[in-house]
This record gives sequence, structure tokens and C-alpha cells, in this order.
Amino acid sequence: MFHWLEKNPFLFSVGVFIVIAFAGLVEILPDFAKASRPIVGLKPYTVLQLAGKEVYKKDNCIACHSQLIRPFKAETDRYGKYSLSGEYAYDRPFLWGSKRTGPDLHRVGNYRTPEWHANHMWDPKSVVPASIMPAYKHQFKNIADLETAYAEAVTVKKVFNTPYGDDIQPGKAAFEKYYKEKALPEALKIAKEMKNKEVLAQVQQGKIPEIVALIAYLERLK
Amino acid sequence: MNSFIVKGLVLAGVLIVATLVVIKQMHIDLSDPVNLITFLGAVAIAVLTFGVGAKYMAQMKTDTASGELAEENWDGIGEYKNELPSGWAWSYVGVMIWAIWYFLWGYPLNAYSQIGEYNKEVKNYQKKFEAKWKNPSPEVLRDMGESIFLVQCAPCHGETGDGLDGKAQDFTSRMTKEQILAVIKSGQHQLMYPLGAMPAGMASGKQAEEVAAWIAGGMKGKAPATWATCAGCHGQDGKGNGGSAPDLAEYDETLVKHVLKHGKKGIIGQMPAFPGRFTPVQEKALAAYLKTLKQ
Repeated sequence: MFHWLEKNPFLFSVGVFIVIAFAGLVEILPDFAKASRPIVGLKPYTVLQLAGKEVYKKDNCIACHSQLIRPFKAETDRYGKYSLSGEYAYDRPFLWGSKRTGPDLHRVGNYRTPEWHANHMWDPKSVVPASIMPAYKHQFKNIADLETAYAEAVTVKKVFNTPYGDDIQPGKAAFEKYYKEKALPEALKIAKEMKNKEVLAQVQQGKIPEIVALIAYLERLK
Repeated sequence: MNSFIVKGLVLAGVLIVATLVVIKQMHIDLSDPVNLITFLGAVAIAVLTFGVGAKYMAQMKTDTASGELAEENWDGIGEYKNELPSGWAWSYVGVMIWAIWYFLWGYPLNAYSQIGEYNKEVKNYQKKFEAKWKNPSPEVLRDMGESIFLVQCAPCHGETGDGLDGKAQDFTSRMTKEQILAVIKSGQHQLMYPLGAMPAGMASGKQAEEVAAWIAGGMKGKAPATWATCAGCHGQDGKGNGGSAPDLAEYDETLVKHVLKHGKKGIIGQMPAFPGRFTPVQEKALAAYLKTLKQ
């Protein structure tokens, strides 16, 4: 029966591929749809958190930090509960990362405070003496791009049915309303815990520095 | 027996003995199934190496080229139509049957879960850990506490426990005067001690200042008169009446456990809670380590 395969190299290659892929298919496929649904109680990112996620991507935190705790005792002892795929349902894209030059951040909201993050971004060595992380002082000056984050929320609500409810509506007026009523109070709460007077003054004037958005995002990781 | 078989047997024996020596020297625990399987695998490799080697060496001496050739040949290279070696054929069939079972029933469709394995591993480890350190010596507790502290607490409290310039609690003393005054002013019920909430404004003005300075100074000398109010709950010696109220003198085990469980927000900032992160022995160890930080 194999003579036929030997005479048809292309079909032979397809056969080899299927045979080799078989174990992978039975391992991955059955649980795939189930595991990728959001876990119970998971809420989509607020606009401020989305803006913070953009800062995280822009400043390339993923180059050193991962966001995926594997189910090994050594990992969960240090970082907290192992990650489930359903927790990343609203992550587009997810920021798992693979290079742990710094610690994993998936549960960082559980064991660090806004003030700690602020110190860490301003001067990493002031909280972790052996840190090789550079300082990110520009985050205290630059203003976060809430408008783009809002647009992203509108998009994922429309395209992927992300359950944002009535808070997020298309249009400039809806953005201004959201910014004033939801984003600013959220930012103000974080700025107050940061103990940085300049940042707090900026938020009180209605401008949200990148560091506040980034901390909102990091605090959400839990 | 010819000399070749004798040499082969000796080699297999040496390999097995060497494996046993390694197991003995490295104190490998054969009750662990993974170690046992690895050991049996090593023995099997030694025996098979000898068996297969001996068989083919013998065959080379006696075998002649005979049998019927198959029709196909590739550039003049032909293939005999020999019977399949039965041992090989049966093990091939056996492995096929096992593979079908393994793919469809054994793994992973309804048998294996990585998280289940993790849970089992952690449970076993925790049990062993608690049993091993049931009655730890003070030195063991201190060292264990230090290693936990350096990983989990040092990022905020600093490697020496001094609180990194006021970023977090300074463990070299129990409380500062400002902290005590803030608690007296606004009351406290974050740690959920059995005696309940401490009301706001139990003392004020000069009296509050006096008692705060006395507590912050390590409760040395004669207590100010206002202390009587505090002593009602915290005890005459300030040690918290055996865990009914917070210990004001040092970081005792109950205090450390409560703070880890509930977190705490004070005038210097907020500490997140760490519920369920440490085993009872580890919490005890942390408390033992914190006590040694006092200057």
C-alpha cells in the first residue's frame, strides 16, 4: 500500500505532516474554545487602563517582563496564582512575553501599590537596588492618549462584542462625557495614591500623564 | 558460553552497579515514581544493550545470505522477502494499540490536567514542608523568614527592612510618633482583632503627644497617665493581651499574620494584602525575622 505514497511525494508529505501533527491536534483542539472564553467576573479594560496598556507596549515593557504565570510551585510561590487562558479574553493582543529579565507582572496589582510603581518608574534603583531597569521619567511629563484608547474601546465593542455597555459610544461628544465622568475620577484616585504633587496637579487640571494610565493598567493586573 | 557473552554480561553488570552507586551517593529517593522509572529505564538499557549486541554478534558469525528477493529493486539494491521478526512485529502492534488508547482515552481528552498535576504537587509539597518544619529551631525560622522577606517584602520595605526612606514601614522600630498620633486621631479597625475597632479620639492634644512619644520610644520608664486608657485593650505591657489587640511593643506573630491577611493603610501609604501566600510556618518565620531587625 505504501508504494503508492512513494510515487506521490506531495501526498506523502501531507501524510507525514498529518501523522506528526496528530498529537498536537488532540492535545490543543478539544479545550481550545472553552479555555478562550472570559473567566467569570472578568471585566473589559477601562479606557484609562487601555491607554496604560498602550504605554506599556510603547515603552516596550514586554522586552523584559512577561505576563504569564505557569502552574509550577516555584512560580506561584513568587508571583501568585497561575494564569488561565480565559483571563486574557479582552487582551488584544495579549502581552505574555517570554523573556524574564524582570519579574512576571501578571498579578502585580496584588502586591504593589501605585506609589511603589511611581517610585519604580521614576528611579528603579530606589526600590530595587539591584535593578537594571532604566528610569522612565518621561512618563511623568507625557500626556496619555485617551482619545485613541477610547477609539479602541469603541472598535472592540463593535467588532468583538466586548461588553462595555452604554458607557462607550462612538463620537466626540460621547468621548468628552466619558473622559470627564469616568476616566478623570479614575485617574484622580490613582494620582492621589502616588504622592507626586506635579502629577496630581496635572490630573486636577484635566490632563492625565502617561504614568497614571500605566499604573491604572498595572493595578488592574491581578 | 564464549568469551564474548561473558564480557557482555560483565559490562551489563558494571553498568547496573554503577547506576546503584550513583543512586546511593546522591541519596536519590526511589519511592518517587519518576526516579524509580528512570532507574528501571537505566537497567533496561544495560540489559537490552547486552542482549541485542550478543544476538547480532552471534548472527554475524553464522548467518548466510539466502531467501527470496522482492520484485522491486532500487538501482540494483534489492530487498529480501523475509518473515518479520516476530518479537519486533508483536511489540510494534502492542505499541500501536497502546498509542490509540493513549491518544483517545489515556491523554489528554479525559485523563490529564496540568493544573490537576500542579495541585497535587503543591499539596504533597506543602504537607512535607509542614511536617519537616513542625518544630523549627529559632535559627531555622530566622533564615527561612529572611529568604521570604528578601523575595516578597524587600521591594517595598528594603533589603535591610528600613522601609526605603519612608516608602514603607520601617521594621527597625515598631511605630513612629506620627503613626501613633494618626491612629489615635482617626481610630483603627483594619486588622480585625478580636477586641474590635479602636475608636477615634481616645486622647488628644498634649496627652496624645505624650503617650505617642512614650510608645514610640519603646515604652521605657514611667508610663504617662493616658496610658491607662490604652492599656485597657493593649494590656499594661502593651503586648496586646495575648492577641486580643495589636501588640504595640514588637512585631509578634499575630500582628504579622493579620497584616498579611488584611493588608493595611496608614499615613505612610497602603500595604496590599497577601492572603494565602504563605504557610503557617512561613508566617511564623517572617515574624521571627522581623523581630531580629530591631536595633
